[in-house]
Amino acid sequence: MTASPATFSATTPSRWDDLRADLRAFGAAGVKEWRLLRRYPSLFIGFLFWPIALPLAYVFQAQGYSGGQPAALDAFAQRTGTAEVAGFLFLGWAAYMWISMILWGPGTSLRTEQVRGSLEALFMTPVSRMVILFGPVVSQIVWAIWMFAVVGGVLVLFFRVPIGPIEAIRALGVILVAVPALYGLGALFAAVVLRFGEVSAMVQTVRGVFTVFCGMTFPIIILPVWAKAVALSLPPTYLIGDLRAVLLQGSDFVSLVPELAILATMGLVLCGFAIVAFRRTERFARRGGSLAQY
Amino acid sequence: MKPGYEGPAIDAVGLVKEFERGRRTTWQRVRRQADQRERFRAVDGIDLRVERGEIFGVLGPNGAGKTTTMKMLATLLEPTAGTARILGYDVVHEARDVRRRMGAVLSDGRSLYWKLTARENLEYFAALYHVPPREQAARIAAALQAVKLDDRSDDYVERYSTGMRQRLVLARALLPDPELMLLDEPTVGLDPQSSRDLRDRVRDLQAQGRTVLLTTHYMEEADQLCDRIAIVDHGHVVALDTPTGLKRTIAATEVVHLEIASSPADAALLSRLEQTAGSVARHERENGDLQVTVHVRSARDFVPVAFDAAREENAAIKHVEVVPVTLEDVFISLTGRALRE
Repeated sequence: MTASPATFSATTPSRWDDLRADLRAFGAAGVKEWRLLRRYPSLFIGFLFWPIALPLAYVFQAQGYSGGQPAALDAFAQRTGTAEVAGFLFLGWAAYMWISMILWGPGTSLRTEQVRGSLEALFMTPVSRMVILFGPVVSQIVWAIWMFAVVGGVLVLFFRVPIGPIEAIRALGVILVAVPALYGLGALFAAVVLRFGEVSAMVQTVRGVFTVFCGMTFPIIILPVWAKAVALSLPPTYLIGDLRAVLLQGSDFVSLVPELAILATMGLVLCGFAIVAFRRTERFARRGGSLAQY
Repeated sequence: MKPGYEGPAIDAVGLVKEFERGRRTTWQRVRRQADQRERFRAVDGIDLRVERGEIFGVLGPNGAGKTTTMKMLATLLEPTAGTARILGYDVVHEARDVRRRMGAVLSDGRSLYWKLTARENLEYFAALYHVPPREQAARIAAALQAVKLDDRSDDYVERYSTGMRQRLVLARALLPDPELMLLDEPTVGLDPQSSRDLRDRVRDLQAQGRTVLLTTHYMEEADQLCDRIAIVDHGHVVALDTPTGLKRTIAATEVVHLEIASSPADAALLSRLEQTAGSVARHERENGDLQVTVHVRSARDFVPVAFDAAREENAAIKHVEVVPVTLEDVFISLTGRALRE
């Protein structure tokens, strides 16, 4: 037996050092995902095509239904507060696509690691579980920025929607306020993955609910009272409504404070709930050995 | 190592892990039907004390509870009962401290990102292991060199052989510069050359002062590598000693394998061999022939007597093989089964 007086690197760091190391790991997870994405260049074509093609189909549909009649456009403006049909639809779809990415992101990422066989290797590292959960989603921020930039460019260049730098900064502010609520939902789905090993059925259901109630392609004012109450309990309703308000109606941040406060509160509640749910399901996985099962 | 801690690298006491067998459907839950799942113990009260700097082997057949034990020590599974401390830290309540100080190879090359290069894989895991940025390049270089992959570090993992991927998994486990390494069946699926290569790397780990706990069901591997071995079966430790000490537990110096053509009186023949040799370790029918394993003090004395006994019982010995005592024989003498069963 060899018992040499070797010294090893590991020490117990301070909380601050731990946090800094976790933040670096967060960045490394984003870089890893980005590197993996680069190995599949055909994905880039899809991301260029979809943010334009999908909403455009709805713009044509709206034109077909209204027949370009002033009365129809007036009715639309009355219900939505803007006459920008294309802007209304493009923003609704851009928000929907971003929400989908975040809903799928953490759960899909965990599922992929589980199926690949790398989830146990990740859980054996000392990194915070939040890094494992949200780190891979960091790379999707690049896609989100890209998508909103494409949508903004199309609206300004082809539909002459007057979006300036001030409006863009306000929109960025709305997006940042919405981030905790949406990531909280994403983390809840990730907890479902660890617990049940499958998430797509639930994600599809929730996406369907969002599509029907949150006003992706229509103003929620047209919904019946009960459905409007459901809409007002869902974070995407506020995100989509506030994005349209700052970009198409010229609203400033102050006038949106009540709605943004609701969105931020939803974010805090959902994140807290998600952290508790994820910790419980991790414990469940460690008791039942389901980290390596799929 | 926990400050002020002077104890063993691994100290597990009464480790138990229970799982549920069977399933409980959603319909059964909704109808509140009784839970009919059966609980079984994959690990049933294992005690392990692994001293610092030693290579300690856990040897046993598939399903003996080796991997479950490793996963509990690696903080991936929570014990149902018992305690385990790694370098003084409790695996349940101080799991993060355990993870900082331990490298583990519990999976094969599937746990790597095949579309990344070896270096890119290690860069990612170095961040997850909280390796300080200024040390990262040096640690990755050292890990790659330790497993002899430094000349292929910028190749995609998908272009690696199985053995190279397994070495890269070992390199990944070295990133935190761990005092303790857990290796679960590290050579499974490797060709003989790659297995030899990996065993050399394990010896290097010990030379660097690290403690190694490895599981295997290859007796030669355990015999060649380990300072001490725990033989486990059905979730229990059935014997624990040095390889030499374990082999000494059976009162024999040689093992004789006999292949005997069909005989009408197996029981009588076996009884006579038992009287002559002292220990018939195992016997089974295979393709109509009787395969008998006998532990003897001297094969030279035993074999002629065995031929005489067979002739008198109207049986014919077709084949004789004499080999030295191995850990497989120890396992057979303890459990009545072969490791591969």
